[in-house]
Amino acid sequence: MILEMKDIIKEFPNIRALDDIDFSVDEGETVAIIGPSGSGKSTLLRCINCLTRVTSGKITLDGKTFVDAKPGGPLNKNHEAKYLPDKELLEICCETGMVFQHFNLFPHMTCLGNICYAPEKVKGRSKQEAEKRGMELLDLVGLADKRDEYPGRLSGGQKQRVAIARGLAMDPRIMLFDEPTSALDPEITGEVLNVMKKLANEKTTMVVVTHEMGFAKEVADRVIFMDHGAIVEQGSAEQIYGAPKSERLKEFLGSLIN
Amino acid sequence: MAYIAQIMPLLMKGTMMMAGLFALTLVIAIPLGLPIMFGSTCKFKVVRFLCKCYIWIFRGTPLLLQLFFFYYFPGIAFGIRFGAFPTAVFTFALNYAAYFAEIYRGGMNSIDPGQYEAAHSLGLSKHQTTYGIIIPQTLKVVLPPMSNEVITLIKDTALASVITLDELMRLTQGLVSRDVTLTPYLIAAGIYLLFTFIMTMISDRVEKHFSKYDSQGEW
Repeated sequence: MILEMKDIIKEFPNIRALDDIDFSVDEGETVAIIGPSGSGKSTLLRCINCLTRVTSGKITLDGKTFVDAKPGGPLNKNHEAKYLPDKELLEICCETGMVFQHFNLFPHMTCLGNICYAPEKVKGRSKQEAEKRGMELLDLVGLADKRDEYPGRLSGGQKQRVAIARGLAMDPRIMLFDEPTSALDPEITGEVLNVMKKLANEKTTMVVVTHEMGFAKEVADRVIFMDHGAIVEQGSAEQIYGAPKSERLKEFLGSLIN
Repeated sequence: MAYIAQIMPLLMKGTMMMAGLFALTLVIAIPLGLPIMFGSTCKFKVVRFLCKCYIWIFRGTPLLLQLFFFYYFPGIAFGIRFGAFPTAVFTFALNYAAYFAEIYRGGMNSIDPGQYEAAHSLGLSKHQTTYGIIIPQTLKVVLPPMSNEVITLIKDTALASVITLDELMRLTQGLVSRDVTLTPYLIAAGIYLLFTFIMTMISDRVEKHFSKYDSQGEW
């Protein structure tokens, strides 16, 4: 098991975003998280790499536990549990790569620069080493010819593919995707999904928050349906989309089709 | 023409003085704005309060008043008298650093929070994020307001004439009074215009350099 989250509670000032969630991911698994907006799926994803800090619960990534807090334990002024010190935390977070809805590429760096910056600075790789790996990754996402282009001159689909390559460049144990195609034109979501399918076929461990039913059906080993901060139902894509058990999921799927 | 040739050496001396004040102010104030900006956004209340007070005072009082104050204060309080030039540089640098700090702060605030999130997700430290990701992007944002301030500074140097600094304005004024002619004013105006023209050219160049990563067309 590469990721294990137990009894996760996340409270924002006036809402409980995650309500006692247990969630784990096996090596090589592709997990899709679906659910209505505000159901806590992005929050859950962001807890994995500490972009959001939980109120209580235990998270173990690649054998390292970075937070283990009981409900009612000491909290800081932002209402967050006690985590490992920042330095150790950053090292563990490096084991994840993240792709955002709005790409968040660094606009002042070329595509190759975006990909190579963290491996050079954080992992201390030489420029040649980082660039060699960077070119392999650009090749993988089909953008080798854009190596010296700035992100501002790429289309949304191209930006997102560079962002995937950037995430992969740190050789993460697990890739996190936060609605990677939601900001794209329907016509170009395909190019991003194809890259993600390729990764899934290579047994990259992935957690994908998505609205793309087709993608979830085709590549997800497991689909999780969340609502109101809780996991309502989970199972294979056939089970979730073909034979939903809970009323809430049936309702949600019904609204997708209409 | 003979008159112009005759007063030119004096005006050149004033121009050199003005250029020196201008350049030294920038060399000190541009870096000095950074710690003040970090201080005014820092999590320690006392530091934040002090930096905000600093900005408030230097932006809230006339530069002219500050010049007089720093010219006379050390003499009255400690019996030490600093020359007009060091006092002018000191005052201008403190004053402009306050403005620059606020420009930097605005620039930093304009950076999309997603940039910090992306940096965090790649394991970059706070230091690496600030200097590698945030500041380079801030540079581009602060360039237009900075060049505005720089051009204002060229003309503000004339204020230093009130503490007897022999810069362009004071020497010009002297010539006008002595010779009862407006010609020195015209020449001084030409010199100020030439300076602002050069600075505008430079800032256009720099802005153009930074625009290379702008988005193009419809994306």
